[in-house]
Amino acid sequence: MNGNNDLIVEFDGVSLNYHDAQGETAAISNLSFSVKKGEFVSIVGPSGCGKTSVLSLVAGITKPSGGRLSLNCGRPGYMLQQDHLLDWRTVEGNVLLGLEVQRSINNETRAYALGLLVRYGLGEFSARYPGQLSGGMRQKVALIRTLATKPELLLLDEPFSALDFQTRLRLGDEIHSILKEEGKTVILVTHDISEAVSMGDRVLVFSSRPTRIKAEHIIDIDEQKPIQRRNAESFKYYFNAIWRELDHDET
Amino acid sequence: MTKHSAAQYGFSQEHRAYVARLIRKKRLVTLSRWALLVALISLWEIFARVGMIDPFIGSSPVRVAQTVFRLYSGGELFTHIGITLYETVLGFFLGTAAGTLIAIGLWWSPTLCDILDPYLVVLNALPKIALGPILIVWFGAGITSIVVMALLISLVVTIMTVLAGFNEITGEKQLLMKTLGASKLQIFTIVVFPASLPTIMNALKISVGMSWVGVIVGEYLVSKAGLGYLIVYGGQVFKLDLVMASIAVLCVLAALMYYAVAYTEKRLVRWRSHIG
Repeated sequence: MNGNNDLIVEFDGVSLNYHDAQGETAAISNLSFSVKKGEFVSIVGPSGCGKTSVLSLVAGITKPSGGRLSLNCGRPGYMLQQDHLLDWRTVEGNVLLGLEVQRSINNETRAYALGLLVRYGLGEFSARYPGQLSGGMRQKVALIRTLATKPELLLLDEPFSALDFQTRLRLGDEIHSILKEEGKTVILVTHDISEAVSMGDRVLVFSSRPTRIKAEHIIDIDEQKPIQRRNAESFKYYFNAIWRELDHDET
Repeated sequence: MTKHSAAQYGFSQEHRAYVARLIRKKRLVTLSRWALLVALISLWEIFARVGMIDPFIGSSPVRVAQTVFRLYSGGELFTHIGITLYETVLGFFLGTAAGTLIAIGLWWSPTLCDILDPYLVVLNALPKIALGPILIVWFGAGITSIVVMALLISLVVTIMTVLAGFNEITGEKQLLMKTLGASKLQIFTIVVFPASLPTIMNALKISVGMSWVGVIVGEYLVSKAGLGYLIVYGGQVFKLDLVMASIAVLCVLAALMYYAVAYTEKRLVRWRSHIG
């Protein structure tokens, strides 16, 4: 459209309908937004608002019913709510899964993937099996599995929601810094307002179905680390504003 | 084992007492199992000796042992065992291999699975033994019919168990594999098949028993040799010693084959021990 090379994802009037025997449900109608290279965008919305559908569209798992969706990068990395590690493979075998599927496994890519494990503190666990790891470690392995194929764009679908609160905060911090360090563009979908504000450069607030963008907040907090951001004065302001926008929607 | 020896070092009194209880219980179970066997056999022998059981109808352990030995020294024992074992193993392997292959086909094409579903349900419900006469006409009164009977009896169970395993895993892991860009073949070979190995092994355990049923029934119907033949023949000529002896041998063989499958499962599904 505007040919801006800076944009990595562009939704232009995208709509998506679901079909079943009972009829048709409009999950998304006329959705437009874009994500810049290197940006961390959080999407919050009430449950069942089609947040996950947006990620499936970006990942190419579902095709839009209408509108235009352009992607200015290779296959995005997708991190799911559950880690889905394969129990019969070691940590190393799990991390190499994406490379194996994409038939791009060689000495160089393998070294890169295993290097990520070492760099992010899981090097000594590479020969272990997922059953021997804690929930937080498993999710970190899932992240490294996603990063191993060197995607420019990462899609995170509530990746912390299955973890206990303590782990969620710590891992959120860690994963945020990993993603910044690796210079990734990220779209994070969550129903947790604090998580969205503390991690995102920008927060999109979605309405309930059919999804549209209700509000957009550019997060301007001096602190960079999510945990510090949670204590910042302006954090409350964003939190309350988004809370009201979501609350209004529920009633 | 390491736990027991570790109990001697530095564990608390409470833990040592707990381990001691565990060991005691394990011993009690093992001991009771053997005691029960010995008691049953002894009582059987005693009742036969004192005349509470007519040995002509109820046989007796000593007579069973004598019969087995007579079969052995006459050279017949291993011929009969060999034939029955051959039929069972062949029927078992063909049944599970064909069942697994058909399950793969049905997994691959959900439409085909939908179409064939009622047929599978009927085949599963049908007592396969009813097909005996047809098999004899089609495959002759010999080993082939017996093997086909064993095959049929384990086939449908294998298809249904394995297919259910495939579908369960697919539901869980399909999305992950799609996000990585996996093809259907990759989803199958990388995730669905390896993840289903425990299910397949379970299906094999069920099939082993099924194959024995198929073979013995098949031998009742047509055979001239084999343990099933010995049982039927013994019944017809009122030699209960022969019947009991054949059943005893059958018990040992069926148990051995089950343990062989269970052992293979343990070797194949090693990763299970890493969970927890």
